[in-house]
Amino acid sequence: MKWIIVTGDSRGVGREIVHQILAETDFGVIGISRSSEDAAGELLAIYPDRFKPLSYDLTDVDGIKPLYMEKIRKIGPIYGLVNNSAMAYDDIVSNLNVQQLQTMFQVNVFSAMHLSKYAIRDMLLHKTQGSIVHISSISAHTGYKGLSMYAASKGAMEAFSKNTAREWGSKGIRSNCVVPGFMETSMSTTLTEDQKARIYKRTSLKKETDISSVASTVLFLLSDQAKSITGTTIHVDNGTI
Amino acid sequence: MNKLLLIINEMREEAGHESIESLEASMDLREDLTLDSFMLAELTVRIEDEFDVDIFEDGIVQTIGEIIAKIEGV
Repeated sequence: MKWIIVTGDSRGVGREIVHQILAETDFGVIGISRSSEDAAGELLAIYPDRFKPLSYDLTDVDGIKPLYMEKIRKIGPIYGLVNNSAMAYDDIVSNLNVQQLQTMFQVNVFSAMHLSKYAIRDMLLHKTQGSIVHISSISAHTGYKGLSMYAASKGAMEAFSKNTAREWGSKGIRSNCVVPGFMETSMSTTLTEDQKARIYKRTSLKKETDISSVASTVLFLLSDQAKSITGTTIHVDNGTI
Repeated sequence: MNKLLLIINEMREEAGHESIESLEASMDLREDLTLDSFMLAELTVRIEDEFDVDIFEDGIVQTIGEIIAKIEGV
């Protein structure tokens, strides 16, 4: 059995992505998040052999190598990676706090890149034509007050994805981004109803982005149906303008 | 050395090159063994899988001798 790593698997979109992979494919899932093992009970009851939760704090970039060497590679060959974990440091630029900015980039960018490194190395070792999907954000494409720093971390991953697609395409390894609009997840709980209403007004469909629609797009990009798709971004954002 | 020779020959065969008889410490990975950047990446992960050593972690490696030194922890 081949495996797909999903970060941020314990809630929100990550949880839905894990559910859809387990329900609709034969792949196993390695979940990585701070509370992965605590939140795993329900999934482990249904998929005891196909779900491996690993509790890990992705602010620890240096620990990713030992995480891969000592745990991930012993589970089995990696087919896919979904870099979904993200932190939102939400403030106007004039209040920029370097510590918080660094922590956000450690999770959203450095750990995501580091996991990509080990996923690609694993694919090379096993000659796997694998698929990497990064979860970006509509904020990298449409400006929002207070999100410039968060959006910059997502823009970094979009550029990284396009270039890794080019770099590893000859080995059959694909890399793409899904760009969700605003969803009702724990990440958007700090927004007031008024702020949400203004954000949703900027979408063609005038509402929040559906989490399962985002997850099924990720599943599509992971699958063979998307074998000719690499280096691109798919917006799942209710038509944000 | 034998395991390293085996890995390099498997990769050379896949790339359509002739296999080589033996490895010398002075052999240059790119010039003498015609390994390109992707083949070096594959060599790195195969050596890591076999010996638990990441030969490129601290910088560029040029020769077979340098790889052996890393594997032997010199």
